[in-house]
Amino acid sequence: MLASIVNPLILGISIGSILLISALGLAVIYGAAGVINMAHGEFIMLGAYSTYTLQSTMGMPFLLCIPCAFFIVGIIGFVIERNLICYLYNRPLDTLLATWGVSLVLMQSSRLIFGSDVKYIAMPEFLSTNLELGILNFSTFRLFLIAVALILLFITWFIFYRTRLGIKIRAVTQNKEMAASFGINAAQVYSITFAFGAGLAGAAGAMFGALSIVLPTMGMHYVVEAFLMVVTGGGSILGTVFASTLAGEIQSIFAFIFNDTMARGLLFILIVVLLRFRPQGLLSTGSGRR
Amino acid sequence: MRINPYNNVKYQWAVYVVFFIFLACIPTIVGDDVFLLNQLSTYGVYGILALSLSLCWGFGGILNLGQGIAFGLGSYGMAMTMQLQSQDILEDRIPPFMLNNAVETLPAIWEPFWNAGAGISLALIVPTLFCLIFGGLMFWGRVSGPFFAIMTLAMLSAFYTIFIDLQYLTNGVNGITPPMALEVGPYLVDPYSSVSFWVVFVALLLCTVVAKLITQSKFGLIVQAQKNDPERTRFLGYNVALYETIIYAFSGFIAAIAGCCFAMLTQYVSPGQFDVGFSISMVIWVAIGGRASLLWGMLGAFMVQGAQSYLGDQFLSTWLLILGFFFILVVRFLPGGLAGLVEVILGYFSSNSSGTKGSNSEPKRVD
Amino acid sequence: MSFTRRKFLNTAALSSLALAAPNLWLPGAQAATSLKADSPIKVGLLFSLTGSLAVPEEDSTLVMQYAIDEINAAGGVKGMPIEPVIVDAKSDFKVYSAKTKEMILRDKVISIFGCYTSASRKAILPTVMQQDNLLFYPTCYEGAECTQNCIGTGPLANQHSFDLIPFMVDNFGPKVFFVGSNYVWPKESNKNAKVWLERSGGELLGEEYIPLGSSEFGPVIEKIRAAKPDFIFSTVVGASDIAFHRQFKQAGLKVDKMPIASLTTGEIETAAMGAEYGAGHFLSAPYFQTIETPTNEKFVDGFLSSPYGKNGYTHYNMEETYLSAYVFKNALEKAIDMHGVTDVTPRKIRDAAAGVKVEADVSPEGLVWIDGDNFNTWLKPKIGQCQADGSFKVIKEAADHVAPDPFSIYPDSGKCTADGLLGLDGKLKVDLI
Repeated sequence: MLASIVNPLILGISIGSILLISALGLAVIYGAAGVINMAHGEFIMLGAYSTYTLQSTMGMPFLLCIPCAFFIVGIIGFVIERNLICYLYNRPLDTLLATWGVSLVLMQSSRLIFGSDVKYIAMPEFLSTNLELGILNFSTFRLFLIAVALILLFITWFIFYRTRLGIKIRAVTQNKEMAASFGINAAQVYSITFAFGAGLAGAAGAMFGALSIVLPTMGMHYVVEAFLMVVTGGGSILGTVFASTLAGEIQSIFAFIFNDTMARGLLFILIVVLLRFRPQGLLSTGSGRR
Repeated sequence: MRINPYNNVKYQWAVYVVFFIFLACIPTIVGDDVFLLNQLSTYGVYGILALSLSLCWGFGGILNLGQGIAFGLGSYGMAMTMQLQSQDILEDRIPPFMLNNAVETLPAIWEPFWNAGAGISLALIVPTLFCLIFGGLMFWGRVSGPFFAIMTLAMLSAFYTIFIDLQYLTNGVNGITPPMALEVGPYLVDPYSSVSFWVVFVALLLCTVVAKLITQSKFGLIVQAQKNDPERTRFLGYNVALYETIIYAFSGFIAAIAGCCFAMLTQYVSPGQFDVGFSISMVIWVAIGGRASLLWGMLGAFMVQGAQSYLGDQFLSTWLLILGFFFILVVRFLPGGLAGLVEVILGYFSSNSSGTKGSNSEPKRVD
Repeated sequence: MSFTRRKFLNTAALSSLALAAPNLWLPGAQAATSLKADSPIKVGLLFSLTGSLAVPEEDSTLVMQYAIDEINAAGGVKGMPIEPVIVDAKSDFKVYSAKTKEMILRDKVISIFGCYTSASRKAILPTVMQQDNLLFYPTCYEGAECTQNCIGTGPLANQHSFDLIPFMVDNFGPKVFFVGSNYVWPKESNKNAKVWLERSGGELLGEEYIPLGSSEFGPVIEKIRAAKPDFIFSTVVGASDIAFHRQFKQAGLKVDKMPIASLTTGEIETAAMGAEYGAGHFLSAPYFQTIETPTNEKFVDGFLSSPYGKNGYTHYNMEETYLSAYVFKNALEKAIDMHGVTDVTPRKIRDAAAGVKVEADVSPEGLVWIDGDNFNTWLKPKIGQCQADGSFKVIKEAADHVAPDPFSIYPDSGKCTADGLLGLDGKLKVDLI
């Protein structure tokens, strides 16, 4: 009896951690640069493909692939930002459209390069078992996902609040002109932030490729949910953490009571209702960007 | 100051007249090629969709990534009507797919669709009502801009999931396949005849005229004002949320008309109508054509779809790549789309030509 | 003002809108496509080469091209070569519908080979029926359809789990948990599976459906763990299937205590999930790459060494597609014998297909034939177990051919005959989809 209450709650944290991993990069890019990045799903996909490539050509171990995927996709993100996004910062709707174009291009290029058949990512043996503690049952991979979510979150927090770069990012986020007048190179800060967000998506891709599947179209499945988490959270990173955990718990509990489809439907209705009464999201940062 | 003829309202109407006269000549030009006629009718439907989106987005400033919702609801309404037309109200009451879902009696929600008039009306009213409610909720909550776009996207995928899940009503992923063409009174609207072309043509013509009149009305002026500066419009005493909701719902209504025509032409609907890619491709048509212009939005739809049908097979694997790059280039360098290019060119020629074209100092309006 | 003929017709059509002449627009007015003597036989290949359906459907296109090359190399059909019209349906049902129209009306194909999902089949059937063309649907589906324009070469729901459920109950125990993707085919398959389950004395502990494309199986796996079934019956498709097998192992469920008996997890899927996740589970299908017959070895070797075999495997779906080419060839030859070349229409090919056999020296899965009433295929479902290298070992083959029955679980609907669905009240319904 106790197991049937505790297990859903643990699973909820796990689902929440997956949501958070998929949404974190998006929240960084939106929160700091105000860009709605529709290519986020494809950054995730690129992360999965870089992991696959590193594994199959160089035999790199999975754990090492995660930071590599972070850097590879980060560099791709940087290139895209320098050549396209940086011209569109004052046109938020257009960044949305342009990044959608980017997502089409990335999706089709990876299809041309890797083919449209399914690839897979091998994992170390210790990640494909489970731990049993009395009535409780943990899949080690899910524990690993929670740990990765926390690590990524910690790195993000560290960069934003404990480095000079973070101070610059926060300054630019609060007031770009003012920051620029203090000698901060806003364009450079945006580029680095965008690359960092893209890198987070790449790390997420390494994880999701191992969780299920590597395909050119895999990103589509994550991007809408990731957006909802960011919007629900109010656009800030802390809000996204909060929203993801809550959504994970709700989805898990509803899925146990009803079924998976119903759980998603109900979760979505809750979000629409919430936004009606709290359009600034769960945690508002005061002058939320609308 | 010389005025760009692009912005001259009289010229604009003249261009529309020429455009529709050209469309009306199509059956004559096409001749016996039933396939081409059917294909062009489908493009007409895409044209209506593009029109609805440029009204909402280009004109009202509300980027809607979920136009597929109204389109899909409309086409489901039409398909339900057509499905029941192929059945007998007394003896053969239940669509075949429902038998497979252990449905013994016809669900109440299907009952009104026995009557074609009621069915088609519902196909138009339900999506409009949905837009009113959803738009109202969002706009009164002051959700707007990119956030609203994301919410429509999420709503779209929610509809996709719901329509798959309500299998006993909608036949899930397999969709509804009415075995017969639409009957209007004693007539059959055969999708492979010029009749269906004319139906789409009339729908496109009416939607365009009404939309164009709206853009030139006082209501349209306020809608444009809220697009340019919602805060200032609000301070002037206008209820911005109301105007946003109305233009959003009206655009949904037009999309529902397109949905009806589409179900009529293809005799098939499925949750694929709520596909995210399709709704976003509508945005691509309008962006490439020119979001600020109703006419160019339609042309954008014709061009992209035409290129997809006729070039897509030549560039089988690279087509999406080409489309994606082209789209990026348009967004980056031509935010006004091809219409913007034409506007610039016309402006260049008119400023070089001698003599001014009257001192018409009308504010710049949406074409 | 001069009236062209066409313009006159249009005007006439418009004015008669007011004058009431409904028969002007009755569908099917166009003459059905027919063959021309001594010219190539055009057939359409309607599969997705891009988008989410490209994974299985690209293989279908490749294997069809291989089969057509093989037939042409052996002299074609009565000396006439088959010429495929290849299109990309882009995994979009709107494109399926548009391309069907294009192939029938413009390219004048005599038959279409296409679709992998019921959704796309339903999208094109209205057009195929209206133009009286012929669709070869080369994969498994749920049935409950009775049209005069479709031939199926894969197993129906009633054939698919026929042997699998009793086999699992005998070997692992009576308690079973059903998991499926949330759409029509899994639900219909599960209805059939319940019939076999009841006959073999099994017990259903639970039934869960996952949204299409979802990769989150946490809650379902917890429910399974709590229910403690003896085996799991899975109709999960696509990417979800791979996620399901991976999370099954990651959650610590053991394949020897609670194997998954699937209708979908074949060579492609195990290759994509990694063989260690697939090993030990069961699949019911009419064909496996490892079937040890000379015909199959010839097929596998020939295909993999051809330019079309770049992906390196054969698969039940590909074999069923391959069969459809030979069903077409044999039926077309029969139709030409009966009617003469120039009188062959798609409908006559379909009628001639009744009882047509694909012999064991051509069919990799062994002898099959087309049912003369519902135009699906008599075949022998086989049960394979996934090995450590990802290949399947056939461990049981049905003793006899199993009859296809599209309405097996709806006996009240009547019986599907060549002319339409014959209701219990004696009424005939045509074009039932």
